[in-house]
Amino acid sequence: MSRRNLTALVLGLALFLCFLLAALFPSVLTDYGLKEMFPAWLPPSGEHLLGTNALGYDIFTEIVFGTRDTLFIGMMSSILTLLFGALFGTLATRNGVVGGAFNALINVFVLLPRLVTLIVLSTFVGSSRWSLIVLIAAFSWAGTARAVKAQVVHLNAQPFIENCVIQGYSRSHIVLRHILPNLSDILLSRFLLGVNSCIMMESTLSFLGFGDLYHPTWGTMVNFAYKRGAFLRQAYNYLLTPGVCIMLLSLSFYLISVYAASRRESIGE
Amino acid sequence: MEKYRKNLFNALACFLVVIVLNFALPRLLPGDPVAYLTGFSEEEMTVAQIDRYRAALHLDESVPRQFLHYLASLADGTLGYSYKKEATVAELIRGRIGYTLQIALPAVVLSSVIGLAWGLACGYRRDSLGDKLSSSVLIVLNTVPSFLIALAAIIFFCFQHKVFPYTGVSSPGFAPGVPGFFADRLRHLALPVLTLTLAAMPSRYLLMRNTAARLADEKYILYAKERGLSPCTIQFGYMLKNIAQPFITMLGMSVSLCIGGSLIIENIFSVSGMGKLLTDAVYTLDYPLMQGVLFVTTLIMVLSIIITDFLCILVDPKVRLGEKHE
Repeated sequence: MSRRNLTALVLGLALFLCFLLAALFPSVLTDYGLKEMFPAWLPPSGEHLLGTNALGYDIFTEIVFGTRDTLFIGMMSSILTLLFGALFGTLATRNGVVGGAFNALINVFVLLPRLVTLIVLSTFVGSSRWSLIVLIAAFSWAGTARAVKAQVVHLNAQPFIENCVIQGYSRSHIVLRHILPNLSDILLSRFLLGVNSCIMMESTLSFLGFGDLYHPTWGTMVNFAYKRGAFLRQAYNYLLTPGVCIMLLSLSFYLISVYAASRRESIGE
Repeated sequence: MEKYRKNLFNALACFLVVIVLNFALPRLLPGDPVAYLTGFSEEEMTVAQIDRYRAALHLDESVPRQFLHYLASLADGTLGYSYKKEATVAELIRGRIGYTLQIALPAVVLSSVIGLAWGLACGYRRDSLGDKLSSSVLIVLNTVPSFLIALAAIIFFCFQHKVFPYTGVSSPGFAPGVPGFFADRLRHLALPVLTLTLAAMPSRYLLMRNTAARLADEKYILYAKERGLSPCTIQFGYMLKNIAQPFITMLGMSVSLCIGGSLIIENIFSVSGMGKLLTDAVYTLDYPLMQGVLFVTTLIMVLSIIITDFLCILVDPKVRLGEKHE
C-alpha cells in the first residue's frame, strides 16, 4: 500500500467529514438561521462570508444548510442503486428465461439516454425528494448490475461454491450467505462512485428546476442564483460556490474510492 | 459478427422500451390521460373540449388500437401534436435540432479526438510526471458539473473579458450565407462547444489512457521501442490500431452523452435548440413535446450506435478479411 493512496484517503476523509459536519450540525458552522433576513445583495464581507442573495439570506448559511439534502439525496439514491444493481445482477446469472430477461433489461438500461429520460419522467411523476431519489436510482443501477453479474459468474465457478452445491444447500442460502459477502468489495467501490454520479445527476436536475423546493440542494441554489439575476449583480460567488462544493464533495468520494481500490488490489496480490 | 448483432439488438430493444414508455406513461399515471396528452388541466376544459380531444387522440378505442395509432404517428413522422404550441411535434423539433447538433457534434469530435491523442500520449508514458499531472487535473475536472463550467466560462469570457457574446447563436445584422454570418456563428458557438468539450473530455481521456496503459506493456510495443521507432509512430501506428474499436464504440456513446449535455447548457447560453424546447415544454407542461424530445434523442442514440457498430465491423480485420475458422 503506497503512501500516496493513504494521502488520498486522509484527504478524502477530511473533506467528507467537513461536509458531514455541515450536514449533521449546520448551526456549528454558521451563526445565522436559514431564514434570517439581511439587506439583499450584500457583497462578501467578514460578517457574510459570501454575501447575501436576492431575498437577503446569507449565502454561506444557505450552502451549509443545503449540504444535508444534497448528501441525503446522493447517498440514498446510491444505496438504492446498489440494492437494485445487486438484485438484478445476481438474478441475471440464473439460467433460462429469468436470467435472459434480466440480462436484456441490464443491456437496455445501460444504453438509455439517462438525463433526458429523467427530465421527462420527473415532470410526469412530480418532483418531491423521494420520487427524485427513486427515479435517479431506477436509471443508474445498470452499471452496478453489470459489475455484480461479472463477479457472481466468477464466484460461481469457484470450488467453494461448487462445494456448497454438492452439500445440497439451497440456491438462496448460497447467494445470501456465501456469494453476497464476497461482493462487498465491488459494492463498496460502486457505492463510492455511485454517490458521485447520483449527486451530479441530482444537481443537474435541480439546476434545471426539477428539485424539491422544500428541500433546496446546491443545484437548486444555482438555479435560483441564475434566475434571480446574480449575473447582473456580479454576485459570481453565489453562482459558483455551490458548484465548487459539489465538486469538492465528489472529489472526496473519489479519493476514498482510490484508496479502496488500491487496498483491494494489494489484498488480491 | 455475433457481438455486433447483439449490440444492434440491444439498441433496438432500448428504442422499443422508450416507445412503450412514452405510450404507457400518460395512460398509467393517476389522472386523466387527456390532461397529459394535451397539457391542459382538466378544470380548464369544457366537456365538449374534453370529448373532442378524446376523439382526436383515439382515447375511446381499445389499448392495442391506441398503440397502433401511436406507432402510426411515429411512422409518418409527425410524432404527435402539441396542443400548447399548435404545431406537430416534428415541426417544432425540426426547427430546433440543428442548433443542438451544431453544439453537440463539434463537442463530440473535439472531446474524443483530444481525449484520444492525450490519452494515448499519457498511457504510453505511464506513471511519468506528465501522466500523473494530467490525470490528476482531468480527474478533478471530471467531478465538475457541466453547468459550473458553463457559468465560469460566461463569467470569465463574457463579463470580465468581453471576448465572446453570451446569448443566442447569431447577432442581428448578418444575412445567412455571407462569411460574416459564419464567423459570427462561430463566435457564438465557441463557448457552448468549449464547455461541452471540457465536460465530456475527462472521461474520454481516462478511458483511453487506461486502455493505452494496459497496451504499453505488450511485447510488440516493447519490440517496437527496441527497434528505435519514434513514440509518435508507436502510438499512432501500433497502439491506435488496437484501441480503434473501444474508441469507435466510445464515440457512439458520446453522441448521446453530448446531446444530453447540450440540453443543459443551451439553457445557460440561451441557445434556442432542443434543450430550450425541452425546458419550455417542461415549464408549460407540454407532455407530447417532451415525449417527442425523448423519442428523438433516443433515435439519434440508436442511429449513432448502429453507425459506430458498422464502423467497428469495417475496421475489424477479423470480420473484414473473413474469420478463418468459419
